Amino acid sequence: MLLLDLIILLFAGGALAWWSESRSAKAPRWLALAFLSLGLLYLLGGVMQIPEQQFSLIPQPDNPQTWLLHYRVDWIPRFGINFELAMDGLSLILVTLTLLLGGVAVVSSWDEISFRPGFFQANLLWTLAGVVGVFLAMDLFLFFLFWEVMLVPMYLLIAIWGHEQKAFASMKFFLFTQFSGLLLLLAILVLASIHANNSGSYSFSYFDLLGTAMSPQLGFWVMLGFFIAFTVKLPAFPFHTWLPDAHTQAPTAGSVILAGILLKTGAYGLLRFTIPLFPQASVDFAPVAMALGAASVIYGAVLAFAQTDFKRLVAYSSVSHMGFVLLGLYAWNILAVQGAVMQMVAHGLSTAALFMTAGALQQRLHTRDMRRMGGLWHNMPRMGATAMFFALASLGLPGLGNFVGEFLVLVGLFAVNPWLAVIAAIGLITAAVYALIMMQHAFQGTPDPQRQLTDYGPREMAAMGVLIIGLLWLGLYPQPVLDVAQPVLESLLAGGAP
Amino acid sequence: MTGSTTAELIPFIVYFGGVILLVLTMLGLSFVLGQRRTNKATNTPYESGVVAVGTSQIRLSVEFYLIAIIFVIFDLETVFIFAWAIAFFELGWQGYFAILVFIAMLGVALVYAWRCGTLEWGVKTRVGLEAKDN
Amino acid sequence: MNLAAMQGLLPLLVLGLGAAVLMLQISIRRQLGWSYAITVATLLLGAAAMEPAMQVAPLQVTPLLRVDNLGLFFGSLFCLSGAVTAVISRDYLRSREGENEEYFLLLLLSTLGAVILAYSTHVAALLLGLELLSVALYALIAYPERGTLPLEAAIKYLVLSGAASATLLFGFALIYAALGSLEYAEIAVQISAGRAATSPALILMGAAMVFAGLGFKLSVVPFHMWTPDVYEGAPAPISGFLAGVSKGAVFIAVLRWFLESGFFQYSSLLAGITLLSIASILVGNLLALLQTNVKRILAYSSIAHLGYLLIVLVAAGVSPEPGLAVEAGGYYVVAYVITTLAAFSLLGLISRQSGDREYDQLSDLAGLFWKQPGLAALFTVALLSLAGIPLTAGFIGKFYLISAGVDAALWGLLAALVIGSAIGIFYYLRIIYTMTTVGEQANPGTTADMLVGSRLVVYLLIFAMLYLGIVPEPLMGYLRTIL
Repeated sequence: MLLLDLIILLFAGGALAWWSESRSAKAPRWLALAFLSLGLLYLLGGVMQIPEQQFSLIPQPDNPQTWLLHYRVDWIPRFGINFELAMDGLSLILVTLTLLLGGVAVVSSWDEISFRPGFFQANLLWTLAGVVGVFLAMDLFLFFLFWEVMLVPMYLLIAIWGHEQKAFASMKFFLFTQFSGLLLLLAILVLASIHANNSGSYSFSYFDLLGTAMSPQLGFWVMLGFFIAFTVKLPAFPFHTWLPDAHTQAPTAGSVILAGILLKTGAYGLLRFTIPLFPQASVDFAPVAMALGAASVIYGAVLAFAQTDFKRLVAYSSVSHMGFVLLGLYAWNILAVQGAVMQMVAHGLSTAALFMTAGALQQRLHTRDMRRMGGLWHNMPRMGATAMFFALASLGLPGLGNFVGEFLVLVGLFAVNPWLAVIAAIGLITAAVYALIMMQHAFQGTPDPQRQLTDYGPREMAAMGVLIIGLLWLGLYPQPVLDVAQPVLESLLAGGAP
Repeated sequence: MTGSTTAELIPFIVYFGGVILLVLTMLGLSFVLGQRRTNKATNTPYESGVVAVGTSQIRLSVEFYLIAIIFVIFDLETVFIFAWAIAFFELGWQGYFAILVFIAMLGVALVYAWRCGTLEWGVKTRVGLEAKDN
Repeated sequence: MNLAAMQGLLPLLVLGLGAAVLMLQISIRRQLGWSYAITVATLLLGAAAMEPAMQVAPLQVTPLLRVDNLGLFFGSLFCLSGAVTAVISRDYLRSREGENEEYFLLLLLSTLGAVILAYSTHVAALLLGLELLSVALYALIAYPERGTLPLEAAIKYLVLSGAASATLLFGFALIYAALGSLEYAEIAVQISAGRAATSPALILMGAAMVFAGLGFKLSVVPFHMWTPDVYEGAPAPISGFLAGVSKGAVFIAVLRWFLESGFFQYSSLLAGITLLSIASILVGNLLALLQTNVKRILAYSSIAHLGYLLIVLVAAGVSPEPGLAVEAGGYYVVAYVITTLAAFSLLGLISRQSGDREYDQLSDLAGLFWKQPGLAALFTVALLSLAGIPLTAGFIGKFYLISAGVDAALWGLLAALVIGSAIGIFYYLRIIYTMTTVGEQANPGTTADMLVGSRLVVYLLIFAMLYLGIVPEPLMGYLRTIL
């Protein structure tokens, strides 16, 4: 029940925030924050009650009792569709990240939104509800439903509250994800149809569909449907072009959620569905996928280097970082996959912070153009210091979360494909270049004496503090996160091994 | 296509060709044989030698068409009544009631036409136009 | 004709009687309120009369009509849709001068035609229903007399519809020439008895002409040219009726004719339908991109949706068990009819005080989201449903269609469906985006003076679209039992 409650809580919170708009313009953001905190507390409280040894159990696909939490009711028996939610260590990490970053997003757009604040917060919470659903759904139909449901409010966030080119950016975002979503739907249905032909009855349950036997050729095409849908979301080269536009045009909270959480749904989909459902096809396809990952790393880094728009730079850096995730996933050994998960979490935290910085800059300077910045450290030392911290995190400074993720990926990858590991390592160097260039252009140099800027207040510092602590913890003592994910990944690896 | 289908289509093709041929012949003959003169009287209508008086495009009152179409409709409906009358004994009471319903429908239509002023000539007194609420 | 048959035909009788009562009422005292009440009451009674009729189903009444659950279910759907159209029209006609009572009479007759189509198991019944439906619509399209557009639309529809009927009749004549029957079941018997083998060309030509004639009514490419002009010219509620009920009824009739007559055995016919389907999907969606008039966008979108629906026919023909495909078709028709009605209802409601033109330009919708949230919500849900986004009826419909397509392994059609849907999202989103902008355009009316009936209908439609999208099982189960 906890899982269902969590989703309902977010949906209801959104509706309530919308309603409260007519009472007070300030009520929605407080309500949104309250509901997100409540959700986080509720989740952690519920997880605390799960016996310790359950965490070390390896979740069996055929036995839901080995999962942390499981919830299931019949929904559309005609097609064997159930409302089935389940949580294992991987989902737990990602859901926690979602709720945490949701709170950060609300704080980051605290007084940015003046037009219809209630509807804004409602869309924010509904997007988060959809994302939580994506991370928990264990029925492919339900998964697809959440996958699409999170798009519509996200679209509205960009289309209504976005920046100058919002119409174009929101349309591009929706078209890319929707087209890939249709491919996903088609692939899911083909998979279910194959299963129905094999077993005589329809089912969309993840547990039933695992291990569906099919001809290698058909398997390849179905796998490709899943793969494209998830890599568009990830995004990996060459499906990444929606990302810079969407991230740049979205309001701050939208960018934070997009980069921090929505991209992870793609990685999650690859890890949870694509590879385990089509082990053989994935192994055959792994070289291509890894090549795309390496291409993303380099390409994203090079393009980030060429940007003058602060947000676009961070957006392209996301492409580069998510390339590591793709590499890690398709290297498909425990080290690399652990690294990928770690990278997902760390990237979520660091990029969210960078987008928050970008939003704060835009709010103060009314521009994102780094050529019109410079010397901001002088005006806003607190903002400069935090930005420095996250820039360093993003370039992979040892001691911070991103380093752990990238290092594990590279080590795991080296065992599989040394050359790609070398290429990806080059990406690390370029990351240092663009991160430092960003710092240099925006925060260093001669300050403009006429500029009067307010530095971060306690509210912003609190959000930044949470993210800093998170990254430090991941970087210095990553073992708890690795431990939680370990049994899940082992089970996925066991199922996915050729 | 199999041989039999082609064979089956032959009557169609012949018929189609025949139609085209007939039309072409008629048009072609009149084109070849017809006289080409542009006298004063060439384009006047031929009325057995009598010179036509006035225009042929007389305005008829719209009521004429209304009455005419109502006549045609009600006239046609008698066909069904004839059909029933011929089989009167075979159809029995069931047929009787069926034709009653049919005639009642016609009656409703007649009342409607009458009250809407369709049967009146000239100034209409339509029902309920003043008492309309909107 | 015995009592059971009367019971089975009760919905038709109710509608016919209602039309007679309405005519008498107009004769005795012209009063819009009464006409409206009689119409809505008749349509609701007609829908309710399906319940007693269901008790005698299945029952063949004369060779022309069959009372079965399929016909009854869709008959009641068309009655209810007619009632929705009537309610919206009442609001729409409020500002119109002159006599509006006949509008409701025509609507009633048109709905009767649609219900007959759902019952038909004989070519004669098919034609009867089709003509009743269409003839009433000619007049309805031209009813508002606002400028020349409605007249142009009505004449276009009249002329082309006449041509289509002629084609249809000729096609049936050819089939009759080959098989000697006009009854669906009898045609199937003749085909399976091998009589068709003696003259396959006649049958194929006949079937192709029938499809051309019915394809006109369904407005599938290349018989779609009239659609945008007619929808644009007709009053918005009637456009909704045309797009929803008229097409839905004809599709149900086609489904019956196609399946019960056993025409799915002809692979060349299936190939032809496949081509029509792909052409409709692509042309409909691509041309919709170029429009700035919302009615025209919806017209092209309906062309595309009928293209999707044709997949059902092909899947039913190819698949060894056509059950899934027919079920998918049924669900899709329900979802499509409700969604289309909802979309056009919005246009009808905002256009009700608009003077000499309807508010059907894209720019008229600017800012609707903030000015009239209720109506904007209706339109948003309808557009999302048309686009096939989850939680709406349209998604389940599309899900069903894709399942049927996958089951029958129709990869080409599925590719067209995916590409078409992706294009479709673009123009649906464009409308939604326009509604969210803060426009400087004249405010198209307010909701304040909307009639209670319209309000109720708006909520009902939103509820129906969401309900069918979230809890589809009851309808699925029901369709399974009746198909």
